[in-house]
Amino acid sequence: MNERPVTVLIAALGGEGGGVLADWVIAAGAAAGYPVQGTSIPGVAQRTGATTYYVEMLRTRIADLGGRTPIFALTPGPGSIDVMVASELLEAGRAMQNGFVNPERTTLIASSHRVYSILERTSMADSRYDGNRVLATAAKLAKRALFFDMEAAAKASGSVVSAVLFGAIAGSGALPIGREIFEKVICDSGFEIKANLAGFATGYSQAVAALAVPALADPDKRWRSMPARAGPLLDRVAKDFPADVAPIANEGIARLCEYQDVAYARLYLDRLDTVRALETEGGHKPLALTREVARHLAVWMAFEDVIRVADLKTRAARFARVRAEVNAKPDEPIRIVDYLKPGIDEVTAIMPPAIAEPILRWAEKRKLIDRFNVSLYIRTTSITGFLLMWILARLKGLRRRSLRLRDEMAMQERWLDAIRATVPRDHAAALEITECARLIKGYGSTYKRGRTNFLRIFDAVVASSALPPARLAAAVKQARAAALADPDGKTLAKALAEIGNNVQPVHKRAAE
Amino acid sequence: MGERSFKKEIASLRLGEGDTFHGEGILAVTKALLQSGVSYVGGYQGAPVSHLVDVMADANELLEELGVHFEASASEASAAAMLGASINYPLRGAVTWKSTVGTNVASDALANVASAGVKGGAVIILGEDYGEGASIMQERTHAFAMKSQIWLLDPRPNLPMIVDMVEKSFELSEATNTPVMLELRIRACHVHGSFKTKANRPPVFSRKHTIENPDFDYGRIVLPPSTYSQEKHKIEVRLPRAIEFVKRAKLNEVFAGKYDDIGIIVQGGLYNSVIRALGDYGLADGFGATDVPIYVMNVTYPIIDDEIIRFCVGKRAVLVVEESQPEFIEHAVHVALRRADVQTKVLGKGPLPMAGEYTLEVILTGIARFLEGAVPRGVDLAFVGRTHQGLLASKKKAAELLGGPVPPRPPGFCVGCPERPVFSAMKLAEREVGQFHIAADIGCHLFSTLPPFNMGNTVLGYGLSLASSAGVAPSMSRRVISVMGDGGFWHNGLSSGVTNAIYNKDDSVLVIMQNGYSSATGAQHLPSSTTNAKGESLSGTIEAALRGLGVSWIRTLRTYGVAKMKDALKDALTTTERGLKVIIADGECQLARQRRIRPLIRKQIAAGDRVVRTRFGIDDDVCTGDHSCIRLSGCPSLTIKANPDPLKTDPVAHVNNECVGCGLCGEVAHAAVLCPSFFRAEIVQNAWLADRLLDRLRARVIGWFQVDRTTAAQSADATAV
Repeated sequence: MNERPVTVLIAALGGEGGGVLADWVIAAGAAAGYPVQGTSIPGVAQRTGATTYYVEMLRTRIADLGGRTPIFALTPGPGSIDVMVASELLEAGRAMQNGFVNPERTTLIASSHRVYSILERTSMADSRYDGNRVLATAAKLAKRALFFDMEAAAKASGSVVSAVLFGAIAGSGALPIGREIFEKVICDSGFEIKANLAGFATGYSQAVAALAVPALADPDKRWRSMPARAGPLLDRVAKDFPADVAPIANEGIARLCEYQDVAYARLYLDRLDTVRALETEGGHKPLALTREVARHLAVWMAFEDVIRVADLKTRAARFARVRAEVNAKPDEPIRIVDYLKPGIDEVTAIMPPAIAEPILRWAEKRKLIDRFNVSLYIRTTSITGFLLMWILARLKGLRRRSLRLRDEMAMQERWLDAIRATVPRDHAAALEITECARLIKGYGSTYKRGRTNFLRIFDAVVASSALPPARLAAAVKQARAAALADPDGKTLAKALAEIGNNVQPVHKRAAE
Repeated sequence: MGERSFKKEIASLRLGEGDTFHGEGILAVTKALLQSGVSYVGGYQGAPVSHLVDVMADANELLEELGVHFEASASEASAAAMLGASINYPLRGAVTWKSTVGTNVASDALANVASAGVKGGAVIILGEDYGEGASIMQERTHAFAMKSQIWLLDPRPNLPMIVDMVEKSFELSEATNTPVMLELRIRACHVHGSFKTKANRPPVFSRKHTIENPDFDYGRIVLPPSTYSQEKHKIEVRLPRAIEFVKRAKLNEVFAGKYDDIGIIVQGGLYNSVIRALGDYGLADGFGATDVPIYVMNVTYPIIDDEIIRFCVGKRAVLVVEESQPEFIEHAVHVALRRADVQTKVLGKGPLPMAGEYTLEVILTGIARFLEGAVPRGVDLAFVGRTHQGLLASKKKAAELLGGPVPPRPPGFCVGCPERPVFSAMKLAEREVGQFHIAADIGCHLFSTLPPFNMGNTVLGYGLSLASSAGVAPSMSRRVISVMGDGGFWHNGLSSGVTNAIYNKDDSVLVIMQNGYSSATGAQHLPSSTTNAKGESLSGTIEAALRGLGVSWIRTLRTYGVAKMKDALKDALTTTERGLKVIIADGECQLARQRRIRPLIRKQIAAGDRVVRTRFGIDDDVCTGDHSCIRLSGCPSLTIKANPDPLKTDPVAHVNNECVGCGLCGEVAHAAVLCPSFFRAEIVQNAWLADRLLDRLRARVIGWFQVDRTTAAQSADATAV
């Protein structure tokens, strides 16, 4: 008899309970009377890295083997895995990449939730791996693919991902073992029995139902409700803007009414209108540029100064959100301590230029600009802490005449002028210039870096007379990507040099 | 006392005659040691053999009953030196560590004990940390065995075989007066299986039955002229006896097969993969019956020439499956055959790669190439080729469909790790004083060399960071920082590093990560822990040791205080004071801490006590999605999520529920002046009436001022519905 063993490969992240799951699978095989062997490679990967556990068992019970002992492999073979289990979506992709999923043999059971890897997390913009690529590959490569969000299932059943996976393995029917034996294993293991059984049951039923995997989508966005005072502006949007731009423009209006006042929102709409008019004139459809300008301009005009931060932090919706996020039960009081560290930059930002600029010049000269940052721990849920922040939020009136607003408006105008000047001749380049607004974000040194990079790109590329017009779009795109590649500005300097300008490194080495 | 509790495993160490042991390979070895009547056991922790040390430490009671002496050794050198007990006396003993690094540390003692020779069986259990899952440089132990004439066993990786080989090792050691190494690869250490147990054998001599008279024999002292006769004895007496023993006890195995014009010679540890590969090609079954003859070397040193010759005679070609390099066995096979004038072609490195782990995929490819080259009579080569292509096809297909590699997922510091903030502080110090060379060391802190920190310029060995800075420091424009864990400090750092620096008046900066345990290997206790492995209390401190040696510039700091740590680092880097400057970065290993406090907190909550839970969070509408906070931390609980803002696309930073509230996020945000998005939330569980009344009062007053109170309440209601 040349019986192939059933092979189970479990891919997990260190500290996630993959070892417990492997032990359960081994115990289930043994309890069912099959010869079974498992092994693993804990070591350093135990500390949050990707790791695997490997189990083999025969479908013939020990009692029926006539005293013969099977020889099990200790390493998984490519193309030879019957049940591929992954506790996270990217790990399912890695399993396929390593050749452990094939159409003749493999049942792929994996959670569709994401635990982002360090390179995805440290990106200066968005380097998330597209999980839909994993789903699409699995649909073609696995004999059977069972995906569902096991993190959510575990949370809903008050359990852990490994228990849900164990249930899904049982429910998939890929192992010659009955449900009662799987459950007995959980009971025999003697810890968190009730929770683990609940997680198991969820995983089991989801695997049996084997629902089709929906493509992954970002969760719902928080749209603002429209303030009544913005009525006339909203009417203008309804009249002049196409349906795919209108919601964004409306959101921008609502945001800026909240941020400052209706007049400020009107300014936004007036500026946006100039771009809309030019794009419409050019006969472009849909109004992709207007849409992007609507998005970026609203975000930019609602730049985050201390007044804005105080406003956001004192809102009732924020208090409710924090409660939910930290899993506080209804009868559990929570206290929020906010970490703020304002310095000369933040304070002068809300002052009129006539006062702010001499202070900044003085501080600059004495190299004191970073010296006066005060570490504040504000208890925003206490009455005094709240009122402090609340009063700060009420200083909106200062903003209209502030240094920061003046500077931002000037930069925005420069950006808008470039866009308006470019649309008639090069729509694609105008879009790329628009996207540069993405660089203006953050606080403190992060903000300064973004602004420096933005200006470098404008000086060296957008405003460059040397650059052939046909290359503008590609050059702006390249420079922008380079600005977001590393915090030290090395890639940007290289890119700008490539684009054909000698550019001195401007920003000093960043901390990260 | 380690990361895992071994209660269940200790019960299985007590199993008697004819019982069945179920469990891990390395624990089966532990049981085999007790069945062999050892007087003493020592070892230094390290994957993949940590569990042997841990379970022994926890099994004190059983060991006392038997009279077995156990030491959680201070280093592999200390462990190896224990084998000295077997030189003069018929004491059986075993020691264990991770190889080759542990063997490197132990080699002084090993070479001496090998030269002197042993009366009692001396066995060294080695976890061969090679291939996937390994954490060290990729080398093999084989060379050590050869140079010192220590016999090396590499048994087939199943529990009955491993246990049998441990027992035979003692016999072999005693029959040949030579220490014996038994190497187990990572997966063999962790393989789950079962075997029939024997009763534990109390040692002949022990604390219970002591030796009356010490033995003196100058012939066993490693000093001339004894050393000359010892070398001769190795070659003229011990080696022939070993060969004789291995043959007689049939430690190596031959599995005959019908295609006898070819054959495979394999290290025991790789046998299972070879059988599986042959099975895939239709040349073996799942129970070891093979069509291709196989010679299994459960003893890989010494090589038994007679057996090799007998196996190869009449074969056109043999494949030597020998993992890693250099190919000592392949060379030895060539020599044996050449001397006997046997013309069998020997293949090995060629069909198989010179370097790298022999995974099933590698062996499948190697055997396919060998068969295609050797063209044995009767083998369906077309089927082999097709099968080989078929098995590898899905890998190619996946690469096409995925369209690019999935991002790697390297290991890193755990959630709330106390060592992470030190590197955050170093990043910030670097911004102010300029880049400095960092001499890194072995331990969790070496994760600093991975993203997001990418810090640490060299690694020279356990506890050797400071010593490794001695050569480079004088040539650098800024001072060099050496990082060392408390594990490394006690292992070797105190003597090779600190003492050396003091003696040579080195101008240097040493950062000692004092987390209380040898954390990377599973939270074993250290000389500066509160208790030793057996739970007996200790009083040593790192600071006392340093002061004793005359170090005066010592700063002990809580690791989580990033700003203070940064200042201390700057101070150490720039002070005019010459000599060694030590920063003790103090913070308990978070894994150990959580294991310690979680059950306590659970108990408190269940008892209705007021408990304040702390965790951190980020306001997703304040965060602008630059992620510099993550680049300065990398904590797994500080992650990203889709931006909830309809106008923004870049993901925002997000603290998930794994957060243990260590506070680093907020500290970094402050120290680096990053952003105001961070908040600390204190959740009062089992709140007192006073808490609730105060909370209600605050909510009422605050509510008067909140402009969005009604809309927020409405949306909350809507969610509730």
